[in-house]
Amino acid sequence: MLQLSHVTKSFGATRAVDDVSLEIASGGIVALVGENGAGKTTLMRIAAGELAAESGSVTRTGGIGFVHQHFQLVGELTIAENLALASSTRFRFATARTLEREAETTIAATGIAMTNVSRRVADLSVGEKSKLELIKAIAKKPATLILDEPTSVLTPYEAEELFRVMRRLAAAGTAVVFISHKLPEVLAVADRVVVMRGGKIVAETRASDSTAEDLARAMVPLVSRSGSYDDKQNPEGLPREGEIAAIVGVAGNGQTELAARLRDRFPDAAHIPEDRTRDGLVAEMTIAENLALRSSRSWNPREAARHAEEMIALYSVRASGPYQRAGDLSGGNQQKVILARELSHLSHRSHSSHESHHLIVAAEPTRGLDIEATRFVHDQLRAAADSGAAILLITSDLDEAFALADTIQVIYRGTLSERMTPDIASGKVANLMAGIA
Amino acid sequence: MKRALSGFNRSLTGFAAAAVAVLLLALSGAAFGHSPLELLTILVNGSVGSRFALEGTLLKSVPLLLTGLSVAIAFRAGVWNIGGEGQFIVGALAALLASRWGVAASLLAAMLAGAAWASIAAAMRLLRNAPEVLTTILLNFIAIHLLGWCVNGPLRERAGQYPQSDAAAAALPLFGSVHAGVFLAVAASVAAWWLLYRTAEGLRLRATGFNPSAAKWAGINVKGQLARAMAISGAAAGLAGGIELLGVTHRLFERFAAGYGYSGIAVALLAQLHPLATIVSALFFGALVTGAGELQRTANISAAVAIFGQAVVILVLIGFERARSRP
Repeated sequence: MLQLSHVTKSFGATRAVDDVSLEIASGGIVALVGENGAGKTTLMRIAAGELAAESGSVTRTGGIGFVHQHFQLVGELTIAENLALASSTRFRFATARTLEREAETTIAATGIAMTNVSRRVADLSVGEKSKLELIKAIAKKPATLILDEPTSVLTPYEAEELFRVMRRLAAAGTAVVFISHKLPEVLAVADRVVVMRGGKIVAETRASDSTAEDLARAMVPLVSRSGSYDDKQNPEGLPREGEIAAIVGVAGNGQTELAARLRDRFPDAAHIPEDRTRDGLVAEMTIAENLALRSSRSWNPREAARHAEEMIALYSVRASGPYQRAGDLSGGNQQKVILARELSHLSHRSHSSHESHHLIVAAEPTRGLDIEATRFVHDQLRAAADSGAAILLITSDLDEAFALADTIQVIYRGTLSERMTPDIASGKVANLMAGIA
Repeated sequence: MKRALSGFNRSLTGFAAAAVAVLLLALSGAAFGHSPLELLTILVNGSVGSRFALEGTLLKSVPLLLTGLSVAIAFRAGVWNIGGEGQFIVGALAALLASRWGVAASLLAAMLAGAAWASIAAAMRLLRNAPEVLTTILLNFIAIHLLGWCVNGPLRERAGQYPQSDAAAAALPLFGSVHAGVFLAVAASVAAWWLLYRTAEGLRLRATGFNPSAAKWAGINVKGQLARAMAISGAAAGLAGGIELLGVTHRLFERFAAGYGYSGIAVALLAQLHPLATIVSALFFGALVTGAGELQRTANISAAVAIFGQAVVILVLIGFERARSRP
């Protein structure tokens, strides 16, 4: 039994959870669905007491078990030792044999199959690790059990086994909360579905009264229009010159791998990496040095500083000067420096006829940026396309894709859909992103 | 402006670490019944107090400067070349073999051999992902035993009396009792500075060292960069071995390397990996080694105290870094 009322939580400028009230009763399975970043996990961490809410209140009856998306296991220890760690923090002497006997009893009580508890956890498959996490959580007999994306690493068979356990627990009176963005399984296992978007609850329904399409539309708000695929285009092909082609999808469906593959295949193209602090800039070096990294010319500090001053003015980077450390810039200004480097590199080579010399691959170019910086990045990308660049925009921000792109493709589990015009795409994207098309 | 200030700060840290290390060294002498002030006097006089002492310091500083540069260049590129000792030895071996064609050929051979030896580790890292920290150390042992076998076997002196080689056929010109290697070493550090801070190669090398992932996204061939950095680093250590042979020992013997390769790590770290600061840092450690020799002669304290001094410098530096990164 769990009651949240008017809970709010922000990270920096983003409202992760915005005035949410939710009641979860014993003996049922509630699915919490939404896109990445919709606030599902944050809300549940507040419910479990892992995060403090800024305002609002949380009432819990009984203990809470939380199975995290990322394993909280000690790889060097055995299954039995991990269970012993979770069950008690009291100091005691125990032989391996004792721990193993206790572990077997614990596992038997949960009704989940897990044999040979003397195995090292590091040697287990992901599926088994996630089972062990589940056993750890259930062993404490919590009144509420929260599972964060539990099926993302499971085979279909393992997922079925998990659902059986969930149903049994619910029948025995436990409140089960199940975070997911896989709509078919949500409808199959949950009694009640709660949809979150932008930190708010936007829909709440009984699973039996809803369809995957309804939920997808609630998760991703788009006006549905009719139309057909433009199947003349090759989905694997690069965008044409002057065109912006967007690839959209829920994060983690292969976007990162796609961008890395394009980087290796077209090292001469302009690349705006998704993770700008790790991949975009060398934080320890100056703005001038970072801007010169792609240049094929010889390195001359004075000339580089002059070039950097020009770029700082042209891209309105808020910096103390060309010798400022790139790592000390704000996120938006870092992104401007990356744009300056990559776009000027491109215009430098635009006389070339080779196709990759006009290509810009921009992955999540405005993630985490404020409105002004976002608009700036968009303007720059449009201007680049107008002057003949071919832009591949990989983004999880649908507004961005529809605002900029001439064509849209959806990436789901590493596979690209066909290329669609925005008109056609607006009716299909939600379903394609959720994998139900 | 900001950059100049932080450079000043860094050199201040280096000087402070060196001063604290010398003081600790002198104070620790008190534990063995010596007056710290007396030890300090011997240390200073024995390293810079006379023309003879100064020349000794200068001679010891030359190999330290080059092995220090070797370490600094590799570390700047993010590769951990701990193999200076082995590269120093194979450099000297090649220099000996090529000495019949003159000093220039001999030193060139030393650099090539050092580069080749380091490239074995680079190849294992790039092709088989073997950590270079391990492979460079293991290659040190191979080089040490290779040298031992050479001076007991094929390269043993014709007189056949000691396990050492004949004198090399060429020698570096002398200025007083100081050989021309001093100028070469200083020229090498200016060249290393120029490479790191005034060429596109150096820019990419440093970018690779700071953040290989960002370097890759910026279109830099990270593997090639690492391979070249390792070869340059090995060439510097090899040159150190060649100069030591042609300028100081003229013969090879089993304990020829005398830890110069490893000491280069301390030299580079005290210089905060800056090629020009490495000159000052090498002089300091050269003085420490020379002064420690004097301590052994007059106060009967083992010259190994110089190694103790190196360790203290590194520990003090780490302490400073910690203190600085805390707030």
